[in-house]
Amino acid sequence: MAVDFSLNPWLPVLALATSLAASLVIFMLPEARHGLRTALNLGAAVAKLILIVVMGWGVFHGLEYQLAFTMLPGIEFELKVDSLSMMFAGLSSVLWLLTTAYAVGYLENSPNRSRFFGFFSLCVASTTGIALAGNLFTFFLFYEMLTLSTYPLVVHRGTATALRAGRSYIIYTLSGGAVLLLGMAWLYAETGTLDFAPGGVVDGSPTPALTAIFVLLVVGLGVKAALFPLHGWLPQAMVAPAPVSALLHAVAVVKAGAFGIVRVVNDVFGTGFANEAGLLLPLAGLAAFTIIFGSVRALFQQDLKRRLAYSTISQVSYIILGICLAGPLGMVGGLVHLLHQGIMKITLFFCAGNYAETLGVHRIDELDGAGPRMPATSVAFTIGAFGMIGTPPLAGFITKWTMGLGALEAGLPWVVAVLLVSSLLNAAYFLPIVHRLWFRPRREAWPEEVRWGRLETLGWLLWPPVLTAAAVVLIGVFAAMPFSPLSWAELVVNREYRP
Amino acid sequence: MTPTLQFLAIAAVGLPLAWLLTLPLAGRWQRFGLPLLPLPALLLALVSEADWQWSLPWLLMDSLWLLDDLRRTFLTLTALLWSAAGVFALGYLESRNLRRFLVFWCLTLCGNLGLVIAGDVASFYSFFALMTFASYGLVEHDGTGEALRAGRVYMAMAVVGEMLLLAGLMLAAEEADSLLLTELADAVAEAPRAELIIGLLITGFGVKAGLPLLHFWLPLAHPVAPTPASAVLSGAMIKAGLLGWLLTLPLGQASPGYWGDLMVGAGAVASLGGALAGVCQRQAKAVLAYSSISQMGLMLLLVGAALATPERALLILPVIALYALHHGLAKGALFLSTAVRPPGGNPARWAYWLLLALPGFSLAGLPWTSGALAKLAMKEALAKDQLTMATATWLSPLMTAGAVATLLLVLRFLWLQYRQAEPGANSRWRTAGWLLTVAGSALVFWWLPWQVGELVEQPYWLPKAYQYASLLTPIGLALVAGLLTALLVRRAPAVPPGDLLALWPGRPQVPGRLSTMPAWPAANTQRWAGRFSSLTTGAENRLRSGGLLALAVLALLFILINQAG
Repeated sequence: MAVDFSLNPWLPVLALATSLAASLVIFMLPEARHGLRTALNLGAAVAKLILIVVMGWGVFHGLEYQLAFTMLPGIEFELKVDSLSMMFAGLSSVLWLLTTAYAVGYLENSPNRSRFFGFFSLCVASTTGIALAGNLFTFFLFYEMLTLSTYPLVVHRGTATALRAGRSYIIYTLSGGAVLLLGMAWLYAETGTLDFAPGGVVDGSPTPALTAIFVLLVVGLGVKAALFPLHGWLPQAMVAPAPVSALLHAVAVVKAGAFGIVRVVNDVFGTGFANEAGLLLPLAGLAAFTIIFGSVRALFQQDLKRRLAYSTISQVSYIILGICLAGPLGMVGGLVHLLHQGIMKITLFFCAGNYAETLGVHRIDELDGAGPRMPATSVAFTIGAFGMIGTPPLAGFITKWTMGLGALEAGLPWVVAVLLVSSLLNAAYFLPIVHRLWFRPRREAWPEEVRWGRLETLGWLLWPPVLTAAAVVLIGVFAAMPFSPLSWAELVVNREYRP
Repeated sequence: MTPTLQFLAIAAVGLPLAWLLTLPLAGRWQRFGLPLLPLPALLLALVSEADWQWSLPWLLMDSLWLLDDLRRTFLTLTALLWSAAGVFALGYLESRNLRRFLVFWCLTLCGNLGLVIAGDVASFYSFFALMTFASYGLVEHDGTGEALRAGRVYMAMAVVGEMLLLAGLMLAAEEADSLLLTELADAVAEAPRAELIIGLLITGFGVKAGLPLLHFWLPLAHPVAPTPASAVLSGAMIKAGLLGWLLTLPLGQASPGYWGDLMVGAGAVASLGGALAGVCQRQAKAVLAYSSISQMGLMLLLVGAALATPERALLILPVIALYALHHGLAKGALFLSTAVRPPGGNPARWAYWLLLALPGFSLAGLPWTSGALAKLAMKEALAKDQLTMATATWLSPLMTAGAVATLLLVLRFLWLQYRQAEPGANSRWRTAGWLLTVAGSALVFWWLPWQVGELVEQPYWLPKAYQYASLLTPIGLALVAGLLTALLVRRAPAVPPGDLLALWPGRPQVPGRLSTMPAWPAANTQRWAGRFSSLTTGAENRLRSGGLLALAVLALLFILINQAG
């Protein structure tokens, strides 16, 4: 291999290294060095964001960044930046910055912060690795690293429930990882390659073995993507601190699973092949069922974060459903939801955390009158909730509209019905919360109110949800602008998957 | 010229939103924005060129804003009414929850103005949804038990309506392969699923427009909202549903199915049934809400006729716009008058009752008012020898019966107002806002700046000699009927606002918790059994008072048949 001294191949490595290095340094910092740790965290997040923006600009203009070396004979470690990986990497770097800022405020005065932020950075490094992975093997490495680095975050509080949730999380995800490994090995035996390539690397006619491999891969990834019936760990894991839940639900874990399924369908099997082999329709059916199931379950939750968790189960399956429509519009809808769901859901989790930290409110029926007390947070929550319902002109509407048209284009009108029913259910479980926030008078004192000076809550906690809520509005209203999620998803589909 | 119009369009939609940004600032001056916020839109409607278009490729999914004569009429109505209601609101609002009210007012206003100038599905539906959801805050503002119930019913129906609408728009956009509303309507007519799409669009917009059986929220929500909000709800926002029909249905194109005739039928039911339920109301504002349903029924009838007879559609369309303008202003004036007290002194009192009755009689088609013009134009557009559909012969008698019913409602309203309003002084802003709408209702038609089509000759506001009979007969009939009722019936039967919704079994309220986990299955069965029994007994009680209702129906039918023969 000719050695290329230009900087380009090293950009993905640098992007990966920023969070990895930050993690290592933070682990070694003494507990008391708050200022330095915060500076390191934010500095690394900003540096990574800049790198991602540079690469995004390059990818937009047709550049490719690639770095590969052989680990085992026939198996390469490969980092590759294409437009699809930029989507996920961009999402994770933007939200990492915001979540870090949020976590700094959230964990103020709590113990074990070095441990927390160390694993936090490690978790983001894994996510970046998943985004930039150029083949299934590299993907798998980072995917497992993600499992291991999120476990300490889930159990961070160390309570009995947290430990139980952590155990359930680790059992689910490690089993999923094992299934994924099995599928991967079999795939290598069948096809002799683990590369990602637009249009897929599998060719020839469908065989039972390939079907079985597809099932194994999807099951392995479906655990993290919380596909029914593999979703059991997710509602339990919401005992984690709010920034962790936010990251878990918006970027890191569930998204890694969904992103993996996107890669498997598009880049390993290829939409065309998978569709002809009849693999996509059953998966679409399962995703549709998960969408409805998650929404119905959410309806019955009284704990705010639990309701949000079930809502995630439902919303992440939109992505999978969109991909399974096997047409350009459906794929745009699925991919764009990868970003939209992340931004909307992180807003909601930030707000839930704010209510818990500022007012001591965890249950929905304790939220009466929170709007006037915390107007900015509640406006952000309202925007996020309406976004989830899919009200125009917010981000969720763009998803719903594109996916609906994609479904009609693919001749699957039942998908439109699923989308509408899901919207109705979303309205049924989000609107009562919004109603409580703004229209119910407060009659008693808050469970545990903390005053933070002039603002309604600590600035570190307040600004992240305000910014993401503004983003939910802007990426919906300006969806047609270049570099909006919608435009980028169209770019991905036009460039790489247009048949 | 064009840059000016673009600037005005941005200001029309953006000003209410920009006003929101001032709300975190302290001070009571913010409310003085209310009358001023709709003014750019009004200006835009008045100075716009014919068929102004502006493409905004960066907005949503490639948007287009435009104004044609139809939209200019609606924009004039919307802006005028919101502005006058804004003046009224200055004298009406208390400081409790004032800021929250202003937020929802501004958002609703933005949606209502924006949807009129939107020319593509995405921006139209966005503004429509903004209006729908934000107006919940106006309905719910008072926070009373009634307001809560009205808000709940409103929201449930609105969300269902939005979903029907979304399904219809998606199917239509897929057929058209375009987001432009004009191309949408064309594509719908030829689509293989045309009947389904048309049905979805009719029902989706029907929730807003008070289509029978989708109207339940309307008589609940319009009365409980603060009065200026009721005025815009009933005058302007209800017209958004109508405008939606006009923009998306394939009017002027042959379309399959019987939706046109069905709409005519539904319009008849709404206009007569709404009036019947309305005269049995105990609250002035509820009477007016039913009057809105009844009036929207007449417009529904026109839309149905246009849908069923494509060759006449181009003639009917301007009449619908005219009717909407007329009804919006008159209804706005009537709603505002419910919160204006009769003055004590004598000449002022006479003037008060005169001005109170004027928009009402205008609704019934009193000569020299906007109502007469609208009625005559409507009659001409629906002349039965021009229409080919099944229900054509019924239209003319229906309109006469509708006019009778309208005036009966107005009389009922005046009676209630006379009984319930206590004399007293009014705040200056209230009086001003009310007088503005009355003046608008009476005068706008005298200098309407653009033609409404070839239907009406100049000077169109003056009926010709032979037309006086057709205008005055229903008024006379209604006056006689009203007088007789007043003499014979001591107490009108009561129909609860929301009529058929009252048959919906109420849920016993558990204090402290609104929603509880449903328990399976024993408790559930029991609950359903309970519901069933309360349904039957409740229905019995509620319908026992319907005897007089039945009589009234018979009387109206009699008139109808006489006219038809």
